[in-house]
Amino acid sequence: MGRILIRFSEEQVSEPIASQIIIEYKVPMAILSAHINNKGGEILVEVPDTMQEQVVEAFRKRGVTTMVPKLIEVDSEKCFSCGTCIALCPVEAIKTDKDHTVQFDKEKCLGSTCSICVDACPARAIKSVKANGNENRDKKS
Amino acid sequence: MSQDGKTRTIEEINQKIKKGDAQVLTAEEMKKLVESSSVEVAFKEVDVVTTGTFGAMCSSGALVNLGHSDPPIKIDRAWINDVEVCHPGAAVDLFIGATNMSEKHNYDYGGGHVISDLVAGKEVELRATGVGTDCYPRTSVKTTITKDDLNQFMLLNFRNCYQRYNCAVNSSDEVIYTYMSKLLPRLRNATYSGAGELNPLMNDPNYETIGLGTRIFLGGGQGYVIGEGTQHSPKSLNGTLMVKGDAKQMSPEFLQGASFTKYGTSMYVGLGIPIPMLNIGLAKKTAIRDSEILTDIVDYSAPRRDRPKFGQVSYRDLKSGSITINGKKVRVSSLSSLKMAKKVSSTLKEWIEEGTFTLTAPIERLPTNTVCRAMRQTEEIPFVVSVMHPAVTCTEDEDIRAIATRIVTKSVNHIVVIDEAGKLKGIVTSWDITRAMAEGKKALADIETHNVFTAKPDEPLEVASKRLAQHNISALPVIDIERKVLGIITSEDVAKLLGRRN
Repeated sequence: MGRILIRFSEEQVSEPIASQIIIEYKVPMAILSAHINNKGGEILVEVPDTMQEQVVEAFRKRGVTTMVPKLIEVDSEKCFSCGTCIALCPVEAIKTDKDHTVQFDKEKCLGSTCSICVDACPARAIKSVKANGNENRDKKS
Repeated sequence: MSQDGKTRTIEEINQKIKKGDAQVLTAEEMKKLVESSSVEVAFKEVDVVTTGTFGAMCSSGALVNLGHSDPPIKIDRAWINDVEVCHPGAAVDLFIGATNMSEKHNYDYGGGHVISDLVAGKEVELRATGVGTDCYPRTSVKTTITKDDLNQFMLLNFRNCYQRYNCAVNSSDEVIYTYMSKLLPRLRNATYSGAGELNPLMNDPNYETIGLGTRIFLGGGQGYVIGEGTQHSPKSLNGTLMVKGDAKQMSPEFLQGASFTKYGTSMYVGLGIPIPMLNIGLAKKTAIRDSEILTDIVDYSAPRRDRPKFGQVSYRDLKSGSITINGKKVRVSSLSSLKMAKKVSSTLKEWIEEGTFTLTAPIERLPTNTVCRAMRQTEEIPFVVSVMHPAVTCTEDEDIRAIATRIVTKSVNHIVVIDEAGKLKGIVTSWDITRAMAEGKKALADIETHNVFTAKPDEPLEVASKRLAQHNISALPVIDIERKVLGIITSEDVAKLLGRRN
């Protein structure tokens, strides 16, 4: 599955853009997180890998900003495996292995759209890397 | 071992250590051995059990002596890497407190980080000012130093190794940031601290072998117990230790600066104590399991010393990752590191096996009957309940005109909207009524505010007063845990009382 961060402006937010794309492309779209109101906002969605590029293009054609969100970065040198972050994670992406070392599951992590663990880390080992809007375009050109 | 096989002495154990044939187990291994065989077998086979803990220990610090500058200075104030350090004694002795925060980086860097950086061999910047005296004429100094430049660099922690600690939750509607880390609203997470069955004091709860002069693992080096820690409460299983050690010999892996957002800085300290198996009673005590160690679940959203509790929980439950509170599953995570606690106990075991660490008998026992008392306060502070008065109320089916009349006859600015059970539904102000009149609105529903900021009766008035200012509002309905309206406090009440005190 591929993740896309979709950012709606104040003008776009009242349009049923996501619904239209879901119907037109018959794409199953799971909403992982949404921070949105009548002033605009962003949603993080998950679509099948094979359709990711198509969906990104479809949103861009309608003038919507899309990004491939970057994940949380964990500095394993700094992390001393206290585990403070574990119970905060809404998607259970953080666990400890057999020897109690804290492990991040990058597949599950919601990335910079969530960031709930970042300011709770006593070791300051977790960094939220903001999504890069040009990343997908660069890949294509 | 004595002839009857019932006791052994520290001297006997030390001789075995020197010969390289002392039998040492970590606390974790000892518990397994007792369970798979018996206390008798374990006592017979094992000479020493090593314990360990690694957690945030705020009452930690380091004493440094800088040596004299030329011309000399009697330091008045000093900063290391922009963290103000304490000048408690003579000219160039400083104390770096773990919780002092950087003036530039706040929560991200503090005294604990300074100590860790120095231990790691890093260069730090020292700035100091003095008043200038006949014998110490200099008034300021700025230089860079490493631990090698210091005459003494001594870790001096006055409260370490808490025997056990609370499990923290937050029942309020907002995220709170505490020394127990980030607590999500409505009991969405819980945090705890401590190594449970691996904690040194849990394995010798009567302080038979841990006392003044006991040699310990401290911060990756060797240190000593120099007394009971502050707030030492062994009777309630909340014992603490005061410890010291040469920080120049320590390791940054076991002494790490820590940041608690919107709370402060601290230091994680690795501390381990060897428990000599002097008698079978000690062997039995080191078999204690997490399931036998209970702690309170405490609601940190209450801004009071005695916070409400949600019952008790064992360290076994805490380490399982989730606990049950009021029938609801709550995910729980540890602030201290079990991985590092185990590393402390296994490193100490290696040292003893290698013969580089021998045991000491305490030269004086620690108190076993002290309790931590509350502060004596000569001035009581006011609480919400002391200024709260009955609220003028209405129900949602009432006419705006009737409410307007009530505002006039009762001479108030706020009407609290309640349901039949007396529970809070909303609030209406005289301003809302005026606006409704101007705009020709008739229904209460059109002007009522539903999202109401409230106060609890046992909150300090200062906390409620801050809430009024923060949201730029002039009254808070006072409600109980079921949202029943008990009364109201207004900014005038607060101003009257707090004003009178000044």
